[in-house]
Amino acid sequence: MRIVILAIFLIVFGLFLATQIPVTLTADEVDGAVSDAIAEAQEPVDEDEVAPIVQRSIEKLEAAQRNRLKYLAGAYFVIWLVFMLYVLRLGQQQKALDRRLAQLEQETNQ
Amino acid sequence: MKIVAILTALLLFISLYLIFGYAQIEKSMLEVQKIFYFHVSAALTVFVAFGVNFVFSIKYLIQRKTNDDLLAAAAAELGLVFCTIALLSGPIWARYAWNTWWNWEPRLTSTLILWLIYIGYFILRAALTEDKRKIYSAVLGTIAYLEVPIVYYSVSIWQGGMHPGTGTKWNLEATMRHTWMVALVAFIMLFSLLLALRYHSKKTEARYEIIQQQHLGEVSS
Repeated sequence: MRIVILAIFLIVFGLFLATQIPVTLTADEVDGAVSDAIAEAQEPVDEDEVAPIVQRSIEKLEAAQRNRLKYLAGAYFVIWLVFMLYVLRLGQQQKALDRRLAQLEQETNQ
Repeated sequence: MKIVAILTALLLFISLYLIFGYAQIEKSMLEVQKIFYFHVSAALTVFVAFGVNFVFSIKYLIQRKTNDDLLAAAAAELGLVFCTIALLSGPIWARYAWNTWWNWEPRLTSTLILWLIYIGYFILRAALTEDKRKIYSAVLGTIAYLEVPIVYYSVSIWQGGMHPGTGTKWNLEATMRHTWMVALVAFIMLFSLLLALRYHSKKTEARYEIIQQQHLGEVSS
């Protein structure tokens, strides 16, 4: 049971890393996107003026996403932590009970 | 038991895949909304767990069978575990959605009271001798369940709460609804599995105590 819960815990974080991690755009990608947008624009646009605005906007979006993912990861971590602690406690209780039973058996045989 | 364990693990894997890989991202809460699937499933599993406690508490009061008392206690213990999960994961959501970790609104307050009542159930069990413990905890288990409908309908009874109404879960977008339903079934299966394990260990504990008392009786005579 403990192994199953640990495996699920690892899979949660695996899935989390694989699907939820923010995609950080490189400076070259941002420049490429800005150039494409300017090329498609109907009116003349100053690239030097627009590029930093776009960059700041992307940084803000990425920071907001990182912030949201902290809450998501935190909640799932807490859920699995509670399960893990409970299952560990169950295991410890069972071990203690087995020990007491063995001791009692020994005493009865004597 | 092994089949139930495998099925539970499989369902949990599937629900995790659905949560992170299938369910649409909700428009206002974005990724944080994904807390909903396990948070709400844990909260509803609490009602099932305390429901089992209620049924077996009544059964014990009628038939006075020790096994009913043990099953009721095992269900209450798991109800507390799931309630703890709901109470801990809720504030993380609340911090993002409401900008506060805790709010004394009806659903949160009544859930905290429910948790405290069942903590009281275990304090009572620990404080009493065996003969009194069974009957008093069965009475408390029966009365305590009255708090469950109060928690469920708290949003309708007291206006001004921050939780959505009781039926809103069914109005979710299709991928979200399917994901939530699978997560709920997975949680109920997990509860059933843990209940079986806990009941079995409680029965072993009870048997050990009987054997020990018999052994002590033999030694002293």
